[in-house]
Amino acid sequence: MRSLFKILLIIFVVLGFSLLLTLASEYFIPGMEVRPLAIFYLSTTLNPWMQNLTANSPEAVTAIVWDYRGLDTLFETAVFYLALIAGISLARGISLKANPGKEGGLSVIVKSVTKITAPMIIAVGASIGLHGHLTPGGGFQGGATIAVIPLLIIIVFSIYYLLNRRVTKENMLMLRSIGLVGIGVTALAAFLTGLVLGESAYVFQNMAKPTSPVTFPATLNGFLISGSLWFFNFFEMIAVAAGFTIAFLLLTYPSRSEGEEK
Amino acid sequence: MINPEFLNTYLLSIVIFSLLLNTALALYGIFYKPHYIKKVICLTILSDTANTFAIYIGYRRWLNDGTINPRPPVLPTTEVSPGVLSQFLARAVDPLPQALVLTAVVIGLAVTVFLIFLGHQLYLHYGTLDMRRIRKLKG
Repeated sequence: MRSLFKILLIIFVVLGFSLLLTLASEYFIPGMEVRPLAIFYLSTTLNPWMQNLTANSPEAVTAIVWDYRGLDTLFETAVFYLALIAGISLARGISLKANPGKEGGLSVIVKSVTKITAPMIIAVGASIGLHGHLTPGGGFQGGATIAVIPLLIIIVFSIYYLLNRRVTKENMLMLRSIGLVGIGVTALAAFLTGLVLGESAYVFQNMAKPTSPVTFPATLNGFLISGSLWFFNFFEMIAVAAGFTIAFLLLTYPSRSEGEEK
Repeated sequence: MINPEFLNTYLLSIVIFSLLLNTALALYGIFYKPHYIKKVICLTILSDTANTFAIYIGYRRWLNDGTINPRPPVLPTTEVSPGVLSQFLARAVDPLPQALVLTAVVIGLAVTVFLIFLGHQLYLHYGTLDMRRIRKLKG
């Protein structure tokens, strides 16, 4: 009875204050127009008539994330990487108990269903990540979707199933490093090409600029890949999927801490 | 008969006021709940509420005559013509807050991963995640 009263009280407070806000609505409801900055982003995201400004991607959010504000996203990836490093170093005292011999896990029905759905989830994650420059989504979202699979396998099959198939902390760390190196190389690619060709070019350059003619290919074999955006999404997807797998592995280690009796 | 525009504004006000209340509840949880995991949950609720506010900044007003209803900032086609582009400009919402929220989500997730590892380590060390008991242990 008391909890019902509390819920009713909260609902009445929300409705009442919302009525007050409605009467003062002129001050906060969104306008018909967006800001001039947004107009610029929206009009240049895929614009064949302004080749020096466009990012050649129909998805404005991805264009902002990896082209207009690419450095921002690079440091965000660095924050994610450092948080994982901190997590790994906090989990340093943990060592794995010996393999119990037989693999545990849930019933045969759950295992069969997981075997069928796992490739589908990976396909969905890959399509979110690799189509990030065309449709809503991107490398981070795709990688996070793919990272569901290790978690599912740990719960359904047991962690030893993963570890016996070489999905170990060390291998995932290597995969993650490959993704990060790929992001770095993609960011520097136009600049290094400019150095070799003797042209001026910028770090994080995607399409040709008025002051530098170096450019990533906007289309590959007739398909729109939006230059560097596709590569950034691809490597970010690898890095994020591997990074989450490390976190899930470390958090579900059937562990003994350092100094404990064997 | 209620004016539909008034009703629209009222519904929007409910959303905004609920977000404000959400912020207050999340802050209450962070400061006064003694359990570590509850604090982490409240922190994620707080950051999600802040992100919703940021998305709301980039929103566009909806009109009932069906002419300039807002759309996501994604071009539906790669065959761009001036007509498609002007239609897109007239309809799409501001993509910048969404991009910033994307960044904030990733960083929030990184912080959460770190906090979870910290909580795991706290549990191994003290055998409890109740902040009152951890404070009494003085270790």
